Amino acid sequence: MFFHITLERNMQLHPRHFGPHLRDKLVAKLMKDVEGTCSGRHGFVVAITGVEDIGKGLIREGTGFVTFPVKYQAVVFRPFKGEILEAVVTMVNKMGFFAEAGPVQIFVSNHLIPDDMEFQSGDMPNYTTSDGSVKIQKDSEVRLKIIGTRVDATEIFCIGTIKDDFLGVINDPGVTA
Amino acid sequence: MADKAGKGSAFPGGNDLGSLKGKSAAALKESHVEIELSDSDGEGFIETPLPSSKGKSSAEAKSGKKRVSFSSLKTSGNNLFNNSTAGDLGKSSNVGKAGGKGSLPQATPLEPLIAETQLKLELELPKGARLLMDCEAAEVLQDIHEHMTVLSQDPKIKMPESFSKAFQYSKVNDHYNNAKAVRQVLETLKLNAVTDGEICLMGNVCPENVDEVYALIPSLKGNIEKNEVALKDAIASLAKFRTPK
Repeated sequence: MFFHITLERNMQLHPRHFGPHLRDKLVAKLMKDVEGTCSGRHGFVVAITGVEDIGKGLIREGTGFVTFPVKYQAVVFRPFKGEILEAVVTMVNKMGFFAEAGPVQIFVSNHLIPDDMEFQSGDMPNYTTSDGSVKIQKDSEVRLKIIGTRVDATEIFCIGTIKDDFLGVINDPGVTA
Repeated sequence: MADKAGKGSAFPGGNDLGSLKGKSAAALKESHVEIELSDSDGEGFIETPLPSSKGKSSAEAKSGKKRVSFSSLKTSGNNLFNNSTAGDLGKSSNVGKAGGKGSLPQATPLEPLIAETQLKLELELPKGARLLMDCEAAEVLQDIHEHMTVLSQDPKIKMPESFSKAFQYSKVNDHYNNAKAVRQVLETLKLNAVTDGEICLMGNVCPENVDEVYALIPSLKGNIEKNEVALKDAIASLAKFRTPK
């Protein structure tokens, strides 16, 4: 789910950047440092939408660096337990399948796939119902529910299920091709 | 770096709040500021249900059911505060994160965990956070993308991969042709005890009927008498704004 939140960060700037474009340099460094990162609390910082305030800089003793407290707004993406997402399948194996929803990876175990779907190996491994009417393969779109999340330093990984009502395949690439 | 200033039109000086289309400015003026910590917590998969002092359904509190809440995703510091105020459900204070008391977190069976998960986003979010539906996020990110298209001509500036993926995701899941109208329709549900998180989820899911809403968002079942009629009306209104496939 996307959020729009205000964050604060202490930015250090080397004296070579001091000058009439100090603010621009600070904003550029902020964007470079923060956009694309992932934190456990806020999720992926997708984009910075505005800088609210830049506080007074404090010179650090011993070095020439100056630390500025910067308050900024950003769009972040973070999955939550219980959330319903539409994801695209990236890999299928006998343990389950992997899917991607934005920057987040989700794994759906075969235990959380409906019992009437069986794994079929081959060039294009997939899960298929016994009558062949529903198939989950690479590039299929599925609606799933997040049941657990784990955060690493740079990414968030989720476990999902399609075993509940109104979950499962939305779009089979084999049909629409 | 002059090109960066092009995007810098989104970053006015002084106390201006930025280029996000005006509606959020008022909401953000009272925003609670989050100071970023240096490293994210390494969090394991959440399996331990936590007692929550903010339980919405008194019926569930009385039944003493185990409930998984998003407070489990908080940092350990916050979890300590939660421990001191929790206890309505009479559960032991085993917290998965702040397990410094020496006891192991209890793993719960997977099936009950799935059945009883509730969407309690408000417990997790900083106070000033504003939820964006995928359609709203698509509009915001489209704006930023147009700025970035100019900037990406500079070889030194790279578009973060997560931005591209998130932008693509929001475009694919943007099922409506008027995000503001959708937000207005769904905001009326707040009068019927529907939370921001539930509203946002409804907007993202594009339900076709009330049964689908209750199946996908079980937390709404707690107030079914209050919200059923309003949900039916909202679903009918949302159908008018849906982009034909």
